Amino acid sequence: MHRKARRGRRRAPKRSPFAVIAGGLGELMLTGGAIVLLFVVYTLWGTGIQTAAAQNDLRNQFELQLDEIDQETDEPESVYEGLELGDAYGILRIPRFGENWERIIVQGVEDEDLKNGPGHYLDSADPGELGNFSIAAHRSGHGEPFAKFPELHEGDIIEVETATGVYQYQLYDAPNGDPDGNRIEIQDTWVVNPVPGEPRSTEPDEALITLTTCWPRWGSSHRMYATGILINAEER
Amino acid sequence: MYAWVWRHLPGPWPVRLFIFLVLVLAIVAALFFWVFPWVEDTFDINRVTVG
Repeated sequence: MHRKARRGRRRAPKRSPFAVIAGGLGELMLTGGAIVLLFVVYTLWGTGIQTAAAQNDLRNQFELQLDEIDQETDEPESVYEGLELGDAYGILRIPRFGENWERIIVQGVEDEDLKNGPGHYLDSADPGELGNFSIAAHRSGHGEPFAKFPELHEGDIIEVETATGVYQYQLYDAPNGDPDGNRIEIQDTWVVNPVPGEPRSTEPDEALITLTTCWPRWGSSHRMYATGILINAEER
Repeated sequence: MYAWVWRHLPGPWPVRLFIFLVLVLAIVAALFFWVFPWVEDTFDINRVTVG
């Protein structure tokens, strides 16, 4: 009897209603703070895990595309037509971001596509074509492909490899190390037009590349961009 | 809140601790897999495209 009473559930000490409410509120606020911190962990690190796995899958998918091209070589361009949103599109290499820096580009710039890697603006040109081959990528979270975007300088090489060949572009308009360089408004779609700054209907006579990302790095009230021109192409 | 949960868990303290940690982990997992992705998409905090 005595033993049972001692081992029974401890009861909470009696507290005044005010203490109960204040204590509960305090716990809620601490919990809220912990959740906010967890969200930061999610954006900085959690999103990258999913992206890394997706990049692996996309790399395999792209290599399969290349194999298919080798077998039935007639028209590599036809590969683009068969691509669905989110499919592997090609490889992006930016030496400024690191000697061996490369990411698999996906077709499309919907949220779901960009979680997996840099995305190709659907209605923009294909690499090597006249027009403006345009890519968007995250600067924070999701593997942060464009984390060092402001470090891009005029003259930097951007290499793109797709089913049709390997293309090198040279930037002529870039942030040049300025964290606020080439900052534009969200609505400034002119940067991805076939001829940047001209209406969409303008017939392009140059093969360009344009990259866009968010500004500031940890938000998205604005955008940043960089543009370059094709200097070398090796068709398959 | 936490004290209330602790009092309502069964078993001796090591068992309670284990159940408590599993509960916390389950909540964190739910946040990471469902809640945070939803928050990110809904509140437009990470957009990189023009237009």
